[in-house]
Amino acid sequence: MKEVLVIIPAYNEQDNIKRVVDNLICNYPQYDYIVVNDGSRDHTRRICRENNYKLLDLPINLGLAGGFQAGMKYAYRAGYKYAIQFDADGQHKPEYIEMMLKKIKEGYDIVIGSRFVERKKPLSLRMLGSRLISGAIRLTTGSKIQDPTSGMRMFSRKIIKECAINMNYGPEPDTVSFLIKNGAVVAEVQVEMDERIAGQSYLTAFKSVFYMIRMLTSIIIIQNFRKRDKRYLEL
Amino acid sequence: MTPLFRAILIIASIGTLIGIVRKVRNAKVQIESSVFWIGFSTLLLFLSIFPQVAEAVADLLGIYSTVNFIFLFVIFVLFIHQFTNSIKISQLEDRIKELTQEIAVRELRKKDLESFEEEKKNEENNSNRM
Repeated sequence: MKEVLVIIPAYNEQDNIKRVVDNLICNYPQYDYIVVNDGSRDHTRRICRENNYKLLDLPINLGLAGGFQAGMKYAYRAGYKYAIQFDADGQHKPEYIEMMLKKIKEGYDIVIGSRFVERKKPLSLRMLGSRLISGAIRLTTGSKIQDPTSGMRMFSRKIIKECAINMNYGPEPDTVSFLIKNGAVVAEVQVEMDERIAGQSYLTAFKSVFYMIRMLTSIIIIQNFRKRDKRYLEL
Repeated sequence: MTPLFRAILIIASIGTLIGIVRKVRNAKVQIESSVFWIGFSTLLLFLSIFPQVAEAVADLLGIYSTVNFIFLFVIFVLFIHQFTNSIKISQLEDRIKELTQEIAVRELRKKDLESFEEEKKNEENNSNRM
């Protein structure tokens, strides 16, 4: 078994999944991977079976949080030291995993593959959301997270266990904010991301407004009242 | 609005806020569902602390008393929430059904495959003996 598990949640990704997973298998054999098919209604499941990919096959659609948590449960049970959340649509580039791994080994709990460590955030509507969330995290934790909405995050064993067994640990900025508040050390590593090549994103235009409301309420208000389950301490 | 009515509204909304925050604190509710209750009770709190807002809206809609507007407002919000809830519940029931069936079918399929392999092995053994 290797030390890193790449968790690839996939919902209706028939056009992308083969390219993404084949790239990992051929060019990055130093990492283990697992595809979490989140009850896709297209041919994602068939493609994974035919190619003999390592697959967690969920019979119904749980959404990103539930699918990712299934992957974290596997990472925890199988004993992986590090797990990385990795998009099935090809936005994330595996060549940056190595740098993130190096960083997390310096003793961090979470390492975010960030688009804006060395580069400036563009002034678009999309990035306005990112700015607001950054601001909310800064306001409540004092930490500066440049790219809180980046879906490329690496977690240490401690956090893997916590995410695997608890409620309200979705792979979202509010979880990161909560963990920082509770003493987790977070670093960012500059990465590049590709635009989506095919398929639909989890976030549609209408949903993203609701997403912003939810995230901001969650980060600014709700996270302050949450109690941390101490069970994760006994590793 | 009478002071007593306002006081009741304030107490009720603060009570709701405390209740939902405690549930979140002990990980008994998902954050997604708590956002509604926090928003709703904050709004109610706002309306009872600043009744002028409710009065203005009531005036605008041609409703005689502010209290009636508050009732209408609460009923309307809860109506929508109940509607979406009922849809969510029926989807949930369907998913449980699907999950249960899936587990049962997968288990049987596994047994099918096992017994199929056993048969094959037996046949091979038999033909070897012959």
